[in-house]
Amino acid sequence: MSASETTAASRSGIAGLVERFPFLPALVILIVLLALNGWFQPNSLGFRAITGLISTYLALMMLAVAQTYVVYSGDVDLSVGAILSLVNCAIVVLMERWGGGGGAVLAACAVGILTGLACGLLNGVVVAVLRLQAIVATFATSILFTGMALYVLPVAGTPAPTVYWRTYGGRFFEIPFVFYVVAALAIVLAIAVRARLTTQMLAVGDDAFKAFQSGLPVTAIRLKGYVLCGLFSALAALCITGDTASGDPLVGGAMTLYSVAAVVLGGTALSGGRGSVGGSVLGALIIGLISSFVFYVGTPSQWQNLVQGLAILLALMLGILVTRRVRA
Amino acid sequence: MKKSVLLAAAAAVVLSAVGAQAQDFTIGLSNGWVGSEWRTQMIEEAQEAAKKWADKGVNVEVVVQSANVDVPGQIAHVRNFINQGVDAIIINPNSPTAFDPVFAQAKEAGILVISTDAEVSSPDAIYVGIDQTAWGAAGAKWLAETLGGKGEVVAINGVAGHPANEMRVAGYRSVFKDYPDIKVVNEVNANWDQAQGQQAMQNILATYPNINGVWVQDGMAAGAWRSIIDAGKTNDIAATGEIRKDFIDLWVENNLNSGASVNPPGVMASALNVAVLMLQGKELKQPATAGQYGNAMYLEIPFIDSSNVKEIHSQLEGKPGHYSYTHSLSIEEAEALFK
Repeated sequence: MSASETTAASRSGIAGLVERFPFLPALVILIVLLALNGWFQPNSLGFRAITGLISTYLALMMLAVAQTYVVYSGDVDLSVGAILSLVNCAIVVLMERWGGGGGAVLAACAVGILTGLACGLLNGVVVAVLRLQAIVATFATSILFTGMALYVLPVAGTPAPTVYWRTYGGRFFEIPFVFYVVAALAIVLAIAVRARLTTQMLAVGDDAFKAFQSGLPVTAIRLKGYVLCGLFSALAALCITGDTASGDPLVGGAMTLYSVAAVVLGGTALSGGRGSVGGSVLGALIIGLISSFVFYVGTPSQWQNLVQGLAILLALMLGILVTRRVRA
Repeated sequence: MKKSVLLAAAAAVVLSAVGAQAQDFTIGLSNGWVGSEWRTQMIEEAQEAAKKWADKGVNVEVVVQSANVDVPGQIAHVRNFINQGVDAIIINPNSPTAFDPVFAQAKEAGILVISTDAEVSSPDAIYVGIDQTAWGAAGAKWLAETLGGKGEVVAINGVAGHPANEMRVAGYRSVFKDYPDIKVVNEVNANWDQAQGQQAMQNILATYPNINGVWVQDGMAAGAWRSIIDAGKTNDIAATGEIRKDFIDLWVENNLNSGASVNPPGVMASALNVAVLMLQGKELKQPATAGQYGNAMYLEIPFIDSSNVKEIHSQLEGKPGHYSYTHSLSIEEAEALFK
């Protein structure tokens, strides 16, 4: 049932489209949500509001991309939030220690990305090489990474240099900086979709044993997935540091499961083997829009969690029903 | 049909004319964690406080965003309020520092921002609430004095790295430092969880059978006291307590040797009253410049001990078990703080 077995050409109409672009249901849900938000609060479609939405949820988009690269191979990473916290604390502390100038900022970002890669490598070794259960092993490493974040920065505090968050929240040629980041992300992901590694990861996720028999280096592929996951978690940390302008050792904790939800909302199967990173990005935006929607509709406070949960559930069901019908 | 439309239109015109005379404020309340009844009570009290302004001819509309969110989710709360065009935002923040940029944007949009329950570093906001350091110190002072300045003490703390926890820890450490004969033999984290507090206390009792005092916070205190009662040490140990009715019942029934600093859920209601007065253009007698970020206005911290626990117990009669003893600035008390 993998994307490679059923070709788009054999299908027609909507079914064929969804088969080729698994993120289509997510895109439709996203547009509906945008329209609903605009209906209840016209300001929410304004330029400033959209910029705000993107700068707030860029970190979750990155984190969802990170999660997708391990979910592709049927793995999961419950430490992405902790990696985000660790990188956030590390770069903020380093930027301060190195004087907060432009050079210091760039150097700290580089160290942050290396930290993310190292965390991903550790996860990969534990899960792919040592063969521990992904869900338990990455839960354990998440505690380790949170501990390291607390060691680097015991209490939330230390402000990021002004140049850093002014850049993130600023504009170049009248276009907000975050839009450039989204464009760059889109280009990178578009290239990555065509990369051989993506296909290999999907093949492993579809059936690891068959993939192994057909000569794919399964361990190395899963390992690479975790390293990519670490990389994008670090990028998410750079975004969150831009939007929050500070270090917080607990900032990412609650984001981990949202990243998993975003991946599923985006049409990627948790069992691995099919999906798309673009869908995960849309999934992150859907989560953001749902929580705004719950508020704009005027839900009483004691019902907000319930309604938000129901809305996410509904979005998940719609996506899954469409996908299932197409694949039936 | 046409007539009724006309009538409605006329009524709307009259109403809006009245509305222009009376003051109308919209205040957004943001709460990023709904894991305890304390937070629910906090919001309900703030909503009640808003209604009381009607008697003064001020129409305060409250819009609430309260859900379990991560930090970006709560930043989104603030952005939603900005998009909606509220006059003021009162927030119980999930992070002390993460809101600096978004609060700056709120201020640019002409919105008053007040944090409560947890301080924020933003120069564009003020804090109205209790001083968590003083809160921690008050319990420690009670404990030290109850023990006659002498004995072995353990501390059961909340979540490591959480700013309120760190401030409370700093508070009790600064007090115990002044009592050389009080020895803090161990400090453990029980993550503000009642069950973990109970278990931590069991471990402590097994490890240090001779301890005299326990400094413990919030809901964990109820758990710790359960362990103390189960171990039959009620008369040998003094420990700090908490403010929920369930615990105060337990306290009075068993005549516990306890004392509790009060972090009242009414802090958000107090902040709301301060916010309305500020929106009316009034100025504080003493500008909010306290605290580590120089933007805090500290409220009084009530204290419960054997001298007043019976009175509070009877005040809470008929409330549900999870109801917290509370206190907030009335409109008049808040007005007294302004010029």
